[in-house]
This record gives sequence, C-alpha cells and structure tokens, in this order.
Amino acid sequence: MPGLLQILLDALSLGSLYALGALGIALIFGVMRLVNFAHGDVIAFCIFALLWPSVDVVPIVFAGQLPWFLLIPFVLAVGAGLSVLAELAVFRRFRHANPATMMIASFALGFVIRYFLLMLFSSRPKSVQILPGLSQPVELLGARIPLLQVVTILVTIAVLLALVAVLRRTRFGLEMRAAAENFTMARMLGVRANRVIMGAFAMSGALAGAIALILGSQTGTADIMMGSSIMLMAFIATVIGGLGSLFGAVLAGFLLGGVSVAMQFALPLEARPFRDAFVYGAVILVLLWRPQGLLSGRAAKERV
Amino acid sequence: MRQIRTFGLAVAAAALATAPALADDIVVGFATAASGFMEAYDKPAQDAAMIRIQEINEAGGLLGRQIRVVTADTKSDRAEGARAGLTVVDAGADLVVVSCDYDFGSPAALVAESAGKVSIFLCAESIKAGIQGVGPHSFSASVLAAVQGATMAEWAYHKRGARTFYRLLDTWTEYNKGICDGFDWMLPRLEGATLIGSDTFVNDDVSIAAQITRIKALPQAPDAIMLCTMMPGAVSAIKQLRDAGITAPILNGSGVDGSYWLSAVPDLSNFFVPVQGSIYGDDPNPEVTAFNAKYREMTGSDPSTQYVYPGYVMIDVWARAVERAGTTEAAAVVAELEKMRDEPTLFGPRTFTSELHHQNRARYLIVETDQGQPRVIDEWTISEPIPVSALLR
Amino acid sequence: MLRRGSVVRRTIATPIILSALILALAIFTVWSGSRPFNQTVIDVLLRVMLVVGLYIFIGNSGVLSFGHIGFTCLGAYAAAWLTMPPMMKGMMLPGLPGWLIATKLPYWVAAPIAATFAAVFAWLFGLVLMRLSGIAASIATFAMLAMINKIYSNWSSVTGATSSVVGIPIVRDLWPYVIAAILCIVIAWAHAISRAGLKLRAARDEPVAAQASGIDIPRERLVAFVVSGWVTGLAGALFAHSLGVVTPDTFYLAMTFMALSMLVVGGMSSLSGAVLGVLVLSLLIQLLRGLERGVDMGGVALKIPNGLQEIALGVIMIAILMFRPSGMMGNRELVWPRARRRRAADAAPRSSTNTQPTGVHR
Repeated sequence: MPGLLQILLDALSLGSLYALGALGIALIFGVMRLVNFAHGDVIAFCIFALLWPSVDVVPIVFAGQLPWFLLIPFVLAVGAGLSVLAELAVFRRFRHANPATMMIASFALGFVIRYFLLMLFSSRPKSVQILPGLSQPVELLGARIPLLQVVTILVTIAVLLALVAVLRRTRFGLEMRAAAENFTMARMLGVRANRVIMGAFAMSGALAGAIALILGSQTGTADIMMGSSIMLMAFIATVIGGLGSLFGAVLAGFLLGGVSVAMQFALPLEARPFRDAFVYGAVILVLLWRPQGLLSGRAAKERV
Repeated sequence: MRQIRTFGLAVAAAALATAPALADDIVVGFATAASGFMEAYDKPAQDAAMIRIQEINEAGGLLGRQIRVVTADTKSDRAEGARAGLTVVDAGADLVVVSCDYDFGSPAALVAESAGKVSIFLCAESIKAGIQGVGPHSFSASVLAAVQGATMAEWAYHKRGARTFYRLLDTWTEYNKGICDGFDWMLPRLEGATLIGSDTFVNDDVSIAAQITRIKALPQAPDAIMLCTMMPGAVSAIKQLRDAGITAPILNGSGVDGSYWLSAVPDLSNFFVPVQGSIYGDDPNPEVTAFNAKYREMTGSDPSTQYVYPGYVMIDVWARAVERAGTTEAAAVVAELEKMRDEPTLFGPRTFTSELHHQNRARYLIVETDQGQPRVIDEWTISEPIPVSALLR
Repeated sequence: MLRRGSVVRRTIATPIILSALILALAIFTVWSGSRPFNQTVIDVLLRVMLVVGLYIFIGNSGVLSFGHIGFTCLGAYAAAWLTMPPMMKGMMLPGLPGWLIATKLPYWVAAPIAATFAAVFAWLFGLVLMRLSGIAASIATFAMLAMINKIYSNWSSVTGATSSVVGIPIVRDLWPYVIAAILCIVIAWAHAISRAGLKLRAARDEPVAAQASGIDIPRERLVAFVVSGWVTGLAGALFAHSLGVVTPDTFYLAMTFMALSMLVVGGMSSLSGAVLGVLVLSLLIQLLRGLERGVDMGGVALKIPNGLQEIALGVIMIAILMFRPSGMMGNRELVWPRARRRRAADAAPRSSTNTQPTGVHR
C-alpha cells in the first residue's frame, strides 16, 4: 500500500484543480445566474496564447519564452481579458434572459473559441514548456513527490486566502457578496451591477489562467480539449457545494478530487475503469441527500 | 507554408472539377476529414497517398488510365462520414479511402461495402477495419495495434533483458486496448517474464498522480512499463511519470511517434516506440529517406509521424493488385490483394489473406529516444503472428 | 377547465403543420434523387426526434435535462443487440444472455422494443431523480448521462466498450425516418394536451399554486421523463440503423449540447420551436458546409476556409439568442393563420396559462 502522505497529496492536488475551476464557475453564477460553459475553453485559450498560431506540428513558442515573473501575469491577464471580453460582447446582452438561454449562449461561445483554436492550431496537441523548474521531484517527510503537486496545493491555498481577503476587506468584495446574496436588493442599495459582474468575470478568467498554468506545466501540452474535463467536474462541484456559496464550491471541489483518488486506490483492477461511474453515482446520492448543496448560499428556490 | 496551400488547392480543385473528365479515368475517392478533430491525422496520410498517385500518373497511369481523385469532407463527424462516403461513391470512385480511425472511417467504409467497392482505411489499427467489421471488400493500410504491444514486449525481453513488466492502460480508445491486448498475448510466451502490476487511467484524466503513486509503491521498480495510450493524453502521462522520478524504460505503441512533442518532456530517455518507417532520416532503407524528402517537397514539411506512411503503402498495394487483376472491379482486386504474402513495400512486407485484411505480424523499427533525441536502434518482427482468434475478443 | 375535445381541436393544427413540413422536406429529398442529400435529411430527421424528445420533458417541466442522450445511447445499443447477426454477437459481445444472442429481429420491430428499454431506464432513473428540481435536477441528469456513458464505455462483454459495435443492418430508405419523426411529433403533442402534460405545464409556470391544487409534481415529471425517454430512445435506435455503427462516445456531450442548442434556439417551451430549431439550424449548417466546399456564384468561386463553419454557427446561434432570448418561437406554436388571429383576440384571459415570462425572476 502506497504511503498515506502521498495519497493525501494526490487527492489534495487534484482537488485543488477542481476547486479552482469550481470557484471560477461559482463567482459568475453568484452574480448573474450564468452557468458558464465557456470556462473550459477559456482555460485552453490561455495556454494557446503562449504559442504563435500555426497548424504545423512543431509549435512556435511565442509568449511562452517569457521569464516566469512575466509569464504568470501574462497568462492570468489573458484569461481575465478574454472573460471580460466575453462579458462585454456576449453576456451583457443576456442580463434578462432565462438561465437556460444564457447557458446555451455560453456553450455556443465556448464552441466558437474551441473551433477558433482548432482552425489556428489544428487538433494535434502542442508541446509547451511552462515553468520547467517545477517538473522535478522533491524530498518531503521521506517521500519523493513532484514539486508541482506541492506548488499546486500552495497556490490554491494562496488564491483562496487572497479571495477571502478581497471579499471580506474591500468595498468591491462587499458589493460582490451582496450581489451574490440577493442581486436585485443589492442593486437597489446602490451596488454598481455592471462593475461587479465585470469584476467577477475578470477574477473567474484569471482563475482559468491559473488552472491553465498548472495544467500546462503538469502535462507539458496544449490541447484544445484540455479544459473540458476540469470544467465538468467544476460545474458539478459548484452545484454540490451549494450554488452561490463560494466556500461550498471549493469544499466540493476538494471532495470530488478526494473521492476520485480514493476510488482509484480502493477499487480492484477490473472495476477501476468504472471509477468515474462510481464518482457520478456518488454525485447523485449527494444531490438526493442535499438538493440545495452542501452549503446552500440562499434560501430562494432555483428554477432552471 | 505556401506549398501546403498550393497542394491543398490542387486537391480541392480535383474535388471540384466538374469539368468532363475522361470517362475512362480510374477514380479514387477520399472520404476523409478535411476539417475538425481528425484532420490533423487524416491529412498527412492522405498527402502521402497523393504522392503515390502522382507517381503512378507520371509513370503513365494504371492500366494505361490516369487516376483521378475526388474528395468529400467528413467534418470529423460520423453521420457526415456516411454522407461523404455516398458522395464519393456516387462520383464513381473505384476505391474509397476512409478516415484514419475506425470509428470515424467505418460509416463511409460501410457505404462503400454496400456499393460493392473496395475501401481502405488510411491507418486504422483495429481488426474491425477489414472483414471483421466492415466486410470482405475492406482493408487497412496499417498494422494491428496488438502487433505493436507484442513487438515491444518480445523485443524488450530479448534485447533489453526485461523480466518484470508493469502495464498502464488508458481505457479511452480501442487502439490503446489493442496495444495492451497484444502485450498480454505475448507475455505468457516469454519464459520467466512476469507482470508485477497493472493499472488504468483515462486519456483526459486531469492527473495520473494516483496511478504513479501505485507504481512507486512497488517493492522493486519494473524492468519496463508498457504504456498503452495515445495523443493527446500520452504526453501528459509520460511527463508525469518522468517528473515523479520514475526512470524505468517505457514501451509504447506507434501512436506516440514523432519528435514534435518531445520538448514537453526535456531530456526524455529510456523511451521506446515501434515504427513502420523512420521520420528521423535514419531509416535503414534509403528509399524511405528519399520519400521523406519528396514529402517535404510536396507539402512543405517533414512527415510528423510514421502515420504518414500507410497512406503511401495503401495506394501502392492497391495499384499492384489492380495491375495484376487487369481491372478495378472489386472482386478481382480483392482476390489479387488476398494473394499477397510478404509483399515488399517501402515500409515493410504486407500480407493479406481471405481471413484477415490487416497485418497480424510486421517488421517494426525500434526507435529509442535518448536525451531527447529519437533514433532507430533496432528492428524486430514478432516470432509468430498473432492468431485472429486472439484478436477477436 | 376546457373540455378535451375542444383542446384537441384548438391545438391539432400544430402537429399537422409540423408533419406537413417534414413530409415536404421528405418529398423534396426524394425528388432531388441525391443519395448524399438523402443521408443528410435522415440525420436531420433523427435530430428532430431527439429534440422533440427533449422538448417533451424540458419544455413541459421547465427542468433542463442534460441526461436524455443517455437514453439515446441505451436505445441505440438495444437496437444493435436485437438486430445484429447472432454469430457476430456471439463473437463480439459474448456477455449478452444466450436468448438475446440468438435473437435477430427486423429493425422496425426492434426499434420500438429498444425505445421501450430506454423508457424503462428512464422510469427507474426518474423515480430517483424527479424528486429534485432546478439546477440540482439538471446536474443529476448529467451525472446519469456520464454514468451511462462510463458503463457503456467499459463493459466490454456486453457493449463492446469503446470498440464500435458493427453489423447493425443499415437502413438508407428515408420513409421509416419520416414516419418515426412524425410519430414523435404526434406523441409530443398528445402528451402536451393530456392531463399529465397540462398539469406539468401548470406546475412549471406556477409551482406553488399547482402544488396547492394537489398536483403531484414529481409524478407528472416522471410521466414526461418516461415519454421523452421513449422518444429519445427511439431516435437512438434509428440512429444506429442510419450509420450501422455505434460507439458510446457518439452519445455524449457533443450530441447533448447540439440537441439542447437546437431546442433553446427554436424555443424551449414550444413543440414548433423544437422542430423549427432543428430545421433552421440544420439548414444553416448545410449552407455553411456548402460554402466550405465552395460555391460557384456566376463564375466567381465563393469558398470559406475549412473550419469556419462551426465558428459561424456558434456566432449565429448567439445572435439569434440575443435578439430572441426565448428562442425563435418563444412559447408560441404554429397554428392556422385564422386561428392565430382569433387567439390573439382572446389572448388576455389565457395568457397566464401558456406563457412563461421572458425575463427571469431573480
């Protein structure tokens, strides 16, 4: 049996990715009831922003050559910029549409981004070297573990702390929390709706950039579908966590990561390919147990 | 870049040519992906096929007739694939070339089959790409995935003294499972070789940390890891394995061939891939290197993986069968193809029988990547062909 | 409450007009004589069935389901099990029970059985899932789809796992699909005007009032779930026969989103919207694909680059939704021109029963 510490780290690092993704979705859902299906494609876009458009199999590295202290802000800015652009060009016109319409619009937007990348880069995965310093094992409490795992977990914790600080300590955070709690009421009390929504999109986009960086340095590839599996899990985590509850989304993200890793270890070999089926089964059970989510943010009934 | 475009235009022009072509032209129809996900995999093999067609036409054609090409885009979509198949069949195709992957190619191949035409998969490596899945007129130009797994196991056993193996399977596609099936078939035939562990993952898994932890928990490191996976997840898996400090030799299928992704895993070593021909300029057969140059001249870039080659082989063997049969009529061509036993081609011998329209044994070059540099170090042909009964599960 | 006969009379125009549209398309196709076009139209008809199936549940209940393509998968595989040659089944799918391996039915017998198989699973899943509502229900249906997909992708002895199932008889004749599409439209209409359908729509628009008047919402949702499961299952069965091959990943996210998009673009709570959404978007796709192939316009070759079709489709979908947030049809149905005028005249008293506000209650 592998060491418990290692299993714990595996679970935490996978959970971190899901949690970051769930936060990105929950932030936007909180302020405008939009389930943003384009989020996964924003993640992919952030990685491809490091490359020069070319359908050749050998990638032409462009921004990827920046030193790390420029590279990281660049990718975060690309994510934030694309998300804000999406809000300005598309979602702003859907303020009064019903959630299903918005959801499909976000899906269509993701579809456009994906095929745009496909046209520019072809479907073959491109290799990118992001933060190569992270791809080495480190010695920790007697176990050799990938440095990236540790960094992923630390980054997630840092992001969460920063987010808590922003939400608790700044006026913007106050407005955002008010908007998430009751949007109409907040607006009546003088919260500048567009500013709050734009801020949520920017933060969500930056989170997508962070995921892109972690995924990119972990996999070494840029692939047009790379954001989609995280997005699905993040989407589920957002709902299980309790829509509108940022903390719930994070908690559920870690929970999903934990369950997934635990099943990979606990299941016998023949059942292991069915791992995801068990995970989704667990999702249904949790929803039946707490339809409003683990930590429901509001009492209002959702109607989609 | 410009060359690619002109070449692409030439193909498009051929497709659009509604001008009265000579009625006695031989028509080859490509129902392949010109856009979407599969395009990156279909296009190179199709370009190679075009090179062979051009060569034949320049040498005076087939049976004294020119080969004309018609194309229809499958849009990397199955339903659209059937439509593309019908389009080229209705355009009079004598040979229908379908997408590289069995799942995407079969709708068009089934159309060709019901129209009584010969169909060839550009590079499908499932036994179903042939008699067992489409029908008696269907062939595949490549080699069964199982042969790749079996080749790597036997080669590592004999040439690298590997005795303990670990098997890591990506259950995403049939191709991946095929590689591991071949490995599983070969392993008991190797005296003293043991499987010390086995695990699965899925190509789009965000992380395979849990699978890696299991490998590292083994009491002793395996002599070789059989990794049955494909792009795009393969790079991620290999990188995660190496980043975690696992240095054991990794055996693969041909799906990870190519140097385009190697920069993702700096200084990759102890990494082995079976290929039908070398894209690295060191193929033991100088004609392969000459072909690479020709491919570069035509398309503007070197072959990116060995999956370019089956496209060339396909037209080559089909044209020989047509010459021998003296007609393009399907039954006669199939009969000639089924007579081929170790028919020499640029990329190794080919055998087709009335039982199997695919290679269950093939000569493979072994490419080792050392310090990030791939090169051919050996070649290997499995000691006995994999029986059809073991291939059909 | 209106009497049944009057409800039928007032609404019968919708299925008749929609069926006429389908028939017109079919006649045009046969007249054109093009086999590739025939194949395209088969694909369009299958989508009509899928989207109408989605409408039966989503449109009437107002609950967005991501799971129905799971029933399409169940239907497709069940059709494969029932129609493949026994020898191939014995070889490729040895885990099937002996009697099923020995069975070989004609496709038109197998398809309704396969649809019923899907409906039984819809009932089983529905018993559990219909207790949920809102986005929790949507996610639960998605989890159901993912479970079905993962199980079908890995249970090799019964489904062939990721390996394609082949040997399914191919039906390239257009008429079976026409008949099935019209049948689905009629079923959707019949459900919508049935007691269950009316109750469900009442519950969609005024959940509190409906519950207070004794409507058992989970039960009415379950009825719609099973009916729509049958229709989407039938679409799956015929999908299998249209191509002759099935794999689990065909019936997953891409198909789910394509069908949902067509429904929402057409108008989520309208049967006419469901059908028109498919027809309009399919027409658009074909036009764009035609442009990709290149069109000769008076000597000038007009051609858009490969891959632009999908991008243009996405942009146009967003544009349609921007200008018509409730879809092309909103919540209206196609009716005879005269009836519409009459209806407009007395719309006021009825508006509360058949409209869903375009804005959302926040």
